[in-house]
Amino acid sequence: MIGKGTRAASVRYVLGAALGMASMTGVALAQDAASDALVARGRYLATAADCAACHTAPHGGKPFAGGYGIASPLGSIYASNITPSRTAGIGNYTEAQFSSAVREGIRGDGAHLYPAMPYTSYAKLTDQDIHALYAYFTHEVRPVDERAPATQLPFPFNLRFSMMFWNALYLDNSRFTPDPAKSAEVNRGAYLAIALGHCDTCHTPRNVMMAEIGGKELGGASLGSWIAPNVTPDPVSGIGSWSSDDLFRYLKTGDVPGKAQAAGPMAEAIEHSFQHLTDDDLKAIVAYVRQVPAIRDAADRKSRDSFGLASGREAVIRGAAGTLDNGEKIFTGDCAACHHPSGGGSKDGYYPQLFHNTATGASIPDNLIAAILEGVDRTVNGQHVFMPGFSHGSYVDELSDQDVADVANYVLTQFGNPAVKVSVADVVSIRNGGPKPLLARVGGYIVPAMVAGAVVLLGLIGLIVARRRKA
Amino acid sequence: MAHPTFSSSGDVTADVVIVGSGVVGAIIAHQMAAAGHSVVMLEAGLRLKRSDIVENWRNMSFHNRVHSDFQGLYPQAPLAPAPLYFPANDYVGLNGPDGSAFKQGYLRTVGGTTWHWAASCWRHLPADFRMKTNYGVGRDWAISYDDLEPYYCRAEDAMGVSGPHDPELQSPRERSRPYPRDMIPFGYGDRRVAELVNPHGFHLVPIPQGRSIQPFEDRPSCCGNNNCQPICPIGAMYNGIQHVVKAEDAGAVVLDQAVAYRIDTDDKNRVTAIHWYDADKKSHKATGRTFVLACNGIETPRLLLLAANEHNPTGIANSSDQVGRNMMDHSGVHATFLANEPLWFGRGPAQSSCIVGPRDGGFRSTYSANKMILNNISRVGPATQQALELGLVGQALEDEIRRRAACGVDLSVSLEPLPDPNNRLTLSKTRRDPLGLACPDIYYDVGEYVRKGAGAAADQIKQVAGLLGGTELRITTSFNANNHIMGGVIMGSDPKDSVVDGDCRAHDHSNLWLPGGGAMPSASVVNTTLSMVALGIKAADSIQADFQGGRV
Repeated sequence: MIGKGTRAASVRYVLGAALGMASMTGVALAQDAASDALVARGRYLATAADCAACHTAPHGGKPFAGGYGIASPLGSIYASNITPSRTAGIGNYTEAQFSSAVREGIRGDGAHLYPAMPYTSYAKLTDQDIHALYAYFTHEVRPVDERAPATQLPFPFNLRFSMMFWNALYLDNSRFTPDPAKSAEVNRGAYLAIALGHCDTCHTPRNVMMAEIGGKELGGASLGSWIAPNVTPDPVSGIGSWSSDDLFRYLKTGDVPGKAQAAGPMAEAIEHSFQHLTDDDLKAIVAYVRQVPAIRDAADRKSRDSFGLASGREAVIRGAAGTLDNGEKIFTGDCAACHHPSGGGSKDGYYPQLFHNTATGASIPDNLIAAILEGVDRTVNGQHVFMPGFSHGSYVDELSDQDVADVANYVLTQFGNPAVKVSVADVVSIRNGGPKPLLARVGGYIVPAMVAGAVVLLGLIGLIVARRRKA
Repeated sequence: MAHPTFSSSGDVTADVVIVGSGVVGAIIAHQMAAAGHSVVMLEAGLRLKRSDIVENWRNMSFHNRVHSDFQGLYPQAPLAPAPLYFPANDYVGLNGPDGSAFKQGYLRTVGGTTWHWAASCWRHLPADFRMKTNYGVGRDWAISYDDLEPYYCRAEDAMGVSGPHDPELQSPRERSRPYPRDMIPFGYGDRRVAELVNPHGFHLVPIPQGRSIQPFEDRPSCCGNNNCQPICPIGAMYNGIQHVVKAEDAGAVVLDQAVAYRIDTDDKNRVTAIHWYDADKKSHKATGRTFVLACNGIETPRLLLLAANEHNPTGIANSSDQVGRNMMDHSGVHATFLANEPLWFGRGPAQSSCIVGPRDGGFRSTYSANKMILNNISRVGPATQQALELGLVGQALEDEIRRRAACGVDLSVSLEPLPDPNNRLTLSKTRRDPLGLACPDIYYDVGEYVRKGAGAAADQIKQVAGLLGGTELRITTSFNANNHIMGGVIMGSDPKDSVVDGDCRAHDHSNLWLPGGGAMPSASVVNTTLSMVALGIKAADSIQADFQGGRV
């Protein structure tokens, strides 16, 4: 699909550009020259790549005007304005500069981007697709002349040039090449899932330098408050027990009754990106995901969507006021009105069941805790699914760390994986943005650490950095 | 962000001192804090958790449920009692010919009584502001509908009101902008009753409501638990706690279990401080530049009277002797009957539609208007009680409960009292609260205007019941309270016969505001909360203007 139409479009673009050159210059030339089909292709690619997830601020931000602070373990990284504004955006970018930014993480002014921008994934994008994205961002996206806030990370992460060395180690700047041993659908899926959808950005664990670990693709990783789970085809630790239809439905709607509901960043990905992809493209992603190497966590006994059963407690506890422990009391007071005292959810599925639910069956309870604290917010196909959060500022009920731990443990015991326990410290951690990776914890010490472990060149620069610190 | 400052002994200083953390106090607190002022709120009652209240409700007895005990499930602060009726605690002493019609259910708790309201968000009619001019009865407001209309809009925005976009269904139609959300769709019963009664001029309209069928801000969508009163179990219904939380996020501080009892004034009769007792009965002082009492229609006049001082010997703000007078509520009746077809009331929110045909007209010069709410509270409870009384058992019992629940209709009819200075709240000479502060006594007589209006309403009820093929029609013979407490700090242009001006500012004290139901000089027949909030926002604007103008 990507092939023919796009190539034809780009041929038209080149011809158009050549014809227009005599009388027009600059952006005006390109505007006339870009064909509707090319721009439409770019729009679809931008959706598949979910550029808006970061570059359009939530709750009414102007499209692609940036300003959204992406919570990273190292501090907020502000998405830039990528509208074609000449003063605040990328209006002055040539296509080559655009390409460098997207695929190599180098801004128009030469400065390095942080890998919060998933350029290590986008590096796989084809030239044709970069061309279409450029056409879309320069011709259809409306310019917004408002500068996004500058990102200010603490030392040493504020030294953007240090990303040069990180890139030298971790950026594979080669384009996607189809694997002839795999079907066209799987290859298409691989391109969609990695080059565009950058699934790996969240689902692949990272090493101490925050680079994705080879051999662990899609094996699951912490995103801070939320976990991007193992989505390899292992039947116990991954999604091997799901049918292709289940996976398709999940990507299309974020809701597979009796298995999982999307929340947090995955809800955003479905809302902004996946639900808008063609069915064929979603099927291709499913086909790809189902054939990546399976990864098993030896501690897992059964799949995370297979735990628990309905509760019959309601008939037992009524008339016994004051006898419930705190977790059960909060469950029946704050959860049962929607999820039903049985935990079975509502008949129409708007309120999901709590047993046979990946949030309660996972071996790591982060997504359960995060859902209780932050709620669920997902608009798919015009339907707004909304669960209120119960953290500070909740309109419904503000729960303490102890309350959240108690109700999470009750839910895990009653409906989920009873071997998993939530402590107050776990809740405090999720409330504060989740476990911090080593890089964030060691902060400035990472420079000498890099010196010790890296190549000679890196060591030299490390010394320079150290000298600058003294100066 | 500005915060109040506390001394080591627990006294506090803030730009704005607000007594009461219900919807009016909380919305003012939020506006003032968001504008950069330090705000402290003194709340007599406890800070509650929704889950505790929901659990108390789930464990409530059948008797209390069927008889609508909305108070008993809310724990009370030991030092700040509020009315209880199962059994009665006689915190508010009632007397007079219709004392029993003034059994108000209000909460003293962080977030206030909107914990258990039904979220009806009505506007007064333009005519309601000019009762004396139009009909020669009651009083005119110091402001017009047009003056309050922008504040009605802001109140609707703040509370996320769903109301009809169709002007045919609006009451009143005079609006400068649409509701934030379109009406909650009619249920089957609402549609069917509208078909049958509207051709006869009854004008059934949707009730504007502080809830929505799509999420609003951080509030989930209403899914029809039908449990608005006594507690929305999922927080889909607006209540004051939402603005308490917003105010706190903007820097305001709420002190719970802080019972205000004394008010200091200076030689210009400006308020300088409010004293309160904490949970250990220790007294503290809140000094400030501006003061707001938003304690509700009973507690605000009670506090003003309790706080009488040397310069104000009959009570704060009471040079007119009107504090505590003109007490009003929509004294009402209930009518129940069985329609001759299933209408299935009890699905969706507790209130859904209402007959407003008799809301206004020339007859108001002689008798009260009314509105008839088609109560949408599930009829299963009363149906069960009735079926049991028939002595049925087994399948026959189940069938009868089903039939009665499906066909049962309950009209909640509200009437409009006139402000009467003899309907008066005074301080009890015999009963005191645990802090030794006098409890309120209230003399209440609904008056001939309401009694005549009730007669007219009875004829209309019979007609409605007839149109629905009704049997077993029962109309209550004594008036019931509706918890819409008005009049005790009445608004007017003349300081000699009223307590506050059109901004709810006390005539006697230039830095004291008394917004809420107590200020309302006419009751109309509609629930008061939206008008109370509109008055609160108008008061907040005038407080802000005083800060901006350097007058405080």
